[in-house]
Amino acid sequence: MPTRSTPSHRMLVRLLVAAQLLYVLGVAGAGYATTAYGQHIVLATSPVDLHGLQYESFVRLRYTIAEAPLTAWRSPTPPTRRQSVYVLLNTAADSLATVAGVYDAAPRPAASQAVLRGWVTDVYPRSLGLRYNLERYYVPGDSPLRLGKISPAVRVRVSIAPWGQARIERVELARPTAAR
Amino acid sequence: MSRKFLETESPAWVTEGLITEAQRERLLARYPPDAVQAVGLLPLLGSILLLLSALSVVAANWQGLPTAVRLGMLLATLAAAYAGGEYFLRRGNRRVGHGLIGLGLVMFGVSIILTSQLYQLVGYDVSGLLAWVVVGVLLSYLYESQTLVLLPVIIGAAVQTYCTQALGTFSYATVGLVALGSGYRWWRRPDTLVASVLATGLLWQAALWVALSHAKITWFFIPAMLVYAAGDWHPARPASRALQGPPLVAAYLFALGLALFGETDQYAGLLRPPVLAYLGALAVVFALSIVGKRQRGRLTSLPDWLLLLPGFYLPGGLPLAIATLVVLYAHAGSVLARAHRSGEAEQLTLGTVLFVVATMVAYFKLTWAFLDKSLFFLIGGVLLLSMSWYLRRRNAQRLAAGVATVAGAPAPTSPDNNPAA
Repeated sequence: MPTRSTPSHRMLVRLLVAAQLLYVLGVAGAGYATTAYGQHIVLATSPVDLHGLQYESFVRLRYTIAEAPLTAWRSPTPPTRRQSVYVLLNTAADSLATVAGVYDAAPRPAASQAVLRGWVTDVYPRSLGLRYNLERYYVPGDSPLRLGKISPAVRVRVSIAPWGQARIERVELARPTAAR
Repeated sequence: MSRKFLETESPAWVTEGLITEAQRERLLARYPPDAVQAVGLLPLLGSILLLLSALSVVAANWQGLPTAVRLGMLLATLAAAYAGGEYFLRRGNRRVGHGLIGLGLVMFGVSIILTSQLYQLVGYDVSGLLAWVVVGVLLSYLYESQTLVLLPVIIGAAVQTYCTQALGTFSYATVGLVALGSGYRWWRRPDTLVASVLATGLLWQAALWVALSHAKITWFFIPAMLVYAAGDWHPARPASRALQGPPLVAAYLFALGLALFGETDQYAGLLRPPVLAYLGALAVVFALSIVGKRQRGRLTSLPDWLLLLPGFYLPGGLPLAIATLVVLYAHAGSVLARAHRSGEAEQLTLGTVLFVVATMVAYFKLTWAFLDKSLFFLIGGVLLLSMSWYLRRRNAQRLAAGVATVAGAPAPTSPDNNPAA
């Protein structure tokens, strides 16, 4: 059985290690490809608490689309916690995305719409709490967020790949006129 | 037997005439003092400290480094761990070699996670991490190492936990890879530790499945007893018992819970799956187990299945509690009877503990309500004391009889219950 250091065994090990290196490179490639071929949307957040940055390398973003009215729910069965959902977003060129509907199966988006996947975190009497796994933003060293002392509202540019991955492209400070 | 033991005890052996002084010296010479070992630890400690310092420098500056550098560092560490592992294996240092290859496997998972984080990338299924489990299982076939067999089982449990908790789906691919891939690896090279960890890992995934699908918790015992039945089919006795340990512990705890809390219909109601479907599935697993036991000549362990009697279909209340207690007693009795027949001290202890637990549950359950409290504690204490006296006497007799037969027999050439066989 194993561990004989035969040429074929060494060959298999080399192949397996090469496959792992390629796989990690593939994950990185998926990151670039998502930006290159993906659909771009802009999401608004509530003011970001920057205090955590002193201790951690990420901040928590709270998107305005993290809460949807229950009237946006488009499925015969009522929503349950931790259910995975498809959120249909209205997007227009250079404007913020808003929730058009929450589905439990993939909907067909119109031309100015995008679909972002997420999970139900809470079901309130009149609204739904949603999570997109994009909440944790690892702030790069040169980000303007590192300079700010107050809690700014930010615009998050997200790209959604056709094969169903999504990534935060960049985070910009909201223009002062647009800030609440 | 340690050198220290030999040094302190051997003079007495010489005075008692067991060995001569010359033999004593030869024995001491055969086991040289191993003072070198503590020195051998120093380079290991030193390199761990160096590694920690490098790690903390990198971690502190991680966000400040350019993306390409971070990716390059991850890939370089991954390749270096595997290359180092192969290097040490070729030099014959198996422990360090396998350790480094295990580190390479862990680094692979870390690289996947950190690279996704590098690009702020999210996926919506577990396929990214599934590759980690696949590589782990493949590696366990390429090397003859316990660590490398344990790692994919643990990684599989971790990936499944992430999948069910964060993504809200159950990954059948992960559980299949662990059950079939790691399971077959264990089947070919049985090992007790791997068996226990494998069974625990699979039960953990089964529990996650039950929790996620909001099924009645009794469904958990179908996959659990499948693991148990697999143990019945395995030819190696100690390894198969180790595989059966976790499912049996789970079944026992469940029966105990039923005896303690089964009175309320509310709890029993949570346990009742559709009768035909559940009993049908359980019967299939039971049949598999029986056929396996018969093939391997282990029908004596059949009373293990007593714990799986679906008593929760009985109406809640006192009948259910009493029925469960009867089952617990029957099970403890069967373990004791088997231990007496085989004369294994460990089994005897286990049976005794099970018996005492059943008695305590029965006593607390049945007499708390209608006995005066002081009388309750008095009788309980007397009951336990007399039981301990009786059981200890029985065990002592039993073991003495066992020792007598061993001492009376001629020098054993091949003991038939030799664990190494």
